Amino acid sequence: MTNTYITNATWAITGQHIDLCLCPAAESISTVFLDEIPLPDVKQAEAEGKMEIPEHARVIDASSKLLMPALYDLHSHIEIPGRSKRECIMRAGEAAIRGGVWGMLVLPSPAFCFDNGATLDSFREAATVRSVADMTPAGCISLGMRGLEQAPYNTLATMRGVRILSDGEDFPSNILMLYRAMQYAEDLGLIFAVRADVPALTEHTYAHPSVTAYNLGLHPCPPCAEEIGTETLIRLAEATGARLHLQLVSTAESVRIIRRAKERGVHVTAEVALHHLLFTHAQIGDYDTVFKTIPPLRDQADCEALLEGVKDGTIDCIVSAHTPCSPFSKKQDFVSAPAGMVMLDTMLPALYTKLVKPGLLSWGELIRACCLKPAEIANPREQDEGTPHAAPLLLFDPQVSNLVTEETLTCGTLNTPFLGQELHGAVTLPLR
Amino acid sequence: MKPRKDLITIESLSDEDIHTILDSAVAMKEIFTKSVKKVPALKGKSVLTLFYEPSTRTRSSFEVAAHRLSADVTTFTLATSSVVKGESVHDTIDTLMSMKMDYIIVRHKNSGIPAVIARHCNASVINAGDGAHAHPSQAFLDAFTIREKYGEIAGRRVVIVGDIRHSRVARSTSLILRRLGAQVAFMGPGSLVPPKEHTGVARLHTWDEIFTWKPDVIYLLRVQNERIDSPFFPAADYHQAFGVTEERLRRIEAQGMSIMHPGPVNRGVELCDAAMDYENCLVCNQVENGIAARMSILYHLTPGTLSHD
Repeated sequence: MTNTYITNATWAITGQHIDLCLCPAAESISTVFLDEIPLPDVKQAEAEGKMEIPEHARVIDASSKLLMPALYDLHSHIEIPGRSKRECIMRAGEAAIRGGVWGMLVLPSPAFCFDNGATLDSFREAATVRSVADMTPAGCISLGMRGLEQAPYNTLATMRGVRILSDGEDFPSNILMLYRAMQYAEDLGLIFAVRADVPALTEHTYAHPSVTAYNLGLHPCPPCAEEIGTETLIRLAEATGARLHLQLVSTAESVRIIRRAKERGVHVTAEVALHHLLFTHAQIGDYDTVFKTIPPLRDQADCEALLEGVKDGTIDCIVSAHTPCSPFSKKQDFVSAPAGMVMLDTMLPALYTKLVKPGLLSWGELIRACCLKPAEIANPREQDEGTPHAAPLLLFDPQVSNLVTEETLTCGTLNTPFLGQELHGAVTLPLR
Repeated sequence: MKPRKDLITIESLSDEDIHTILDSAVAMKEIFTKSVKKVPALKGKSVLTLFYEPSTRTRSSFEVAAHRLSADVTTFTLATSSVVKGESVHDTIDTLMSMKMDYIIVRHKNSGIPAVIARHCNASVINAGDGAHAHPSQAFLDAFTIREKYGEIAGRRVVIVGDIRHSRVARSTSLILRRLGAQVAFMGPGSLVPPKEHTGVARLHTWDEIFTWKPDVIYLLRVQNERIDSPFFPAADYHQAFGVTEERLRRIEAQGMSIMHPGPVNRGVELCDAAMDYENCLVCNQVENGIAARMSILYHLTPGTLSHD
């Protein structure tokens, strides 16, 4: 392996021009920090001087491109209905890299039920061989994700390196089980990733209470279900000392609840799905099943409060909530169709086109919410608490725009809200 | 009226379409008075009724309407079909379309199913009720009944009482009446009437408010126990709080208001027995007009044209 030289790049956060030398890991050049972001195996040109580039070296001219850490995603489902596990892993990895995501936390699903060592081992093996992106599985909270009985946390954590527990997006049906799990797992330093919900209030509901829900005759999903669930989980975390990660926060009031909890020092982090920042229930239009999500798309005021939460750090991460659904299943009626969107393929271009370009989010905020914070929470390359996580670098060319078509999606399904739209930005990853 | 393939919602119709269908319903009703109650308008056409939900009056009303237009009617019986074996709607429709149907009349418990079917096949699809979404043929028969009674719909006041939240009738009927210039209000249990910001329809809270508002028509919705998984209101309260009791019937009679109900009536729940015999109770007119309205709908749809929904 030889060194790769990047010249004339623009560092996304500060806008400063930099030249870099990416060295093979073996040479173990000390980590360079740029605005508190550690860049592994990188030599940076002296502040003023020019970097010396040997002849025949591999040089990437990054003029007009932005250099930034690659994204890490805390919320991906990779199972494609009706396809083999191998193919699911391969396609999700390709899609992630295309979207600028170097690694992801894979949540348990029926096909990948990470409640035992054997499943985790076989998944890790398959991911190492088949995925171009880093894949870290989240262990199950309960056996079979049934919400009744705890999974073997000690085995998962100490023998298999699991750091985050989740039952997909299901709220455990037995809250006593969760309470005891949190007490038990506190010593192991595990994080509970749970979507706040009161299942009794959201059963058979399909849309935010709104004109859309009324006109389409879809039973409304009350926001208070999520808010009560958020309060409940925060109280449980406070009472047990466990670390909590709130998945898919979708309402303005949830953001306020989390803000208050953080102010009083609760160990809680939170994520928002990109689609909850970008879309409202109005997008459902005439039963467009692409916009069926759980929790449902909410009001404009919620989108704004969520974005505000990302900017002030109340919401730690923006996640893809990547959920492949087969084209046939999405062709069904709104009630029968599965919920979810695919996002990985278009992640960074969508973030740039919809949030950074219109001035709603700065590059610094994006990098904190999509690169640094999620990697810190998932800690995929085991390191000490508090040390900033070194991520691979990517180049982003904001001048290029691409039409999202069936051919450009590598994730294996078509349930993206951007199909047929132009998104700005092209990702180069990996650089080495 | 421009050729249109399907009737899924009232929203998708122009004002002209609504008037055309209502006007033709009058002509269709005249056929009933003849000794031969049949015209050859749809001779040689095939009509399929595909009801995923139990129904007596809507289904038989459509069947009678199709027969009176000389169409051939096939009834798809779900209890003995592959649907109970888990077949998807798309596959059922593919199977049925190989039988070359011209019209499919569909009812389903899920909102949005008729639109899915309409996109998937060339036949004219008529929504005979989907979940809590829409029931356009009911809207036409209700509008027709009110027009027949009062001559003009514009300026009339109609209060719809009951389970608005789960009711496709409330949605479609309130919409067509407002399009035709009537004023509509909703009244019902708090858990079953969505807020005005969502419905766009004013909400009355009590019968006293109804009597003060002086509607021309009081439209009672059926309490749909089969659609309600856990109770939305204490059942024992309903008649006393929201039904037409004998005392309220006397006030309705005194003010000459009409009573309507989409049927089937739960006696002693929405209506007291005496209300069914009240001279301005239009429930039977609604049933008769239902056939005329559905004949008019069938007559005005054109299979194989572009879908408007």
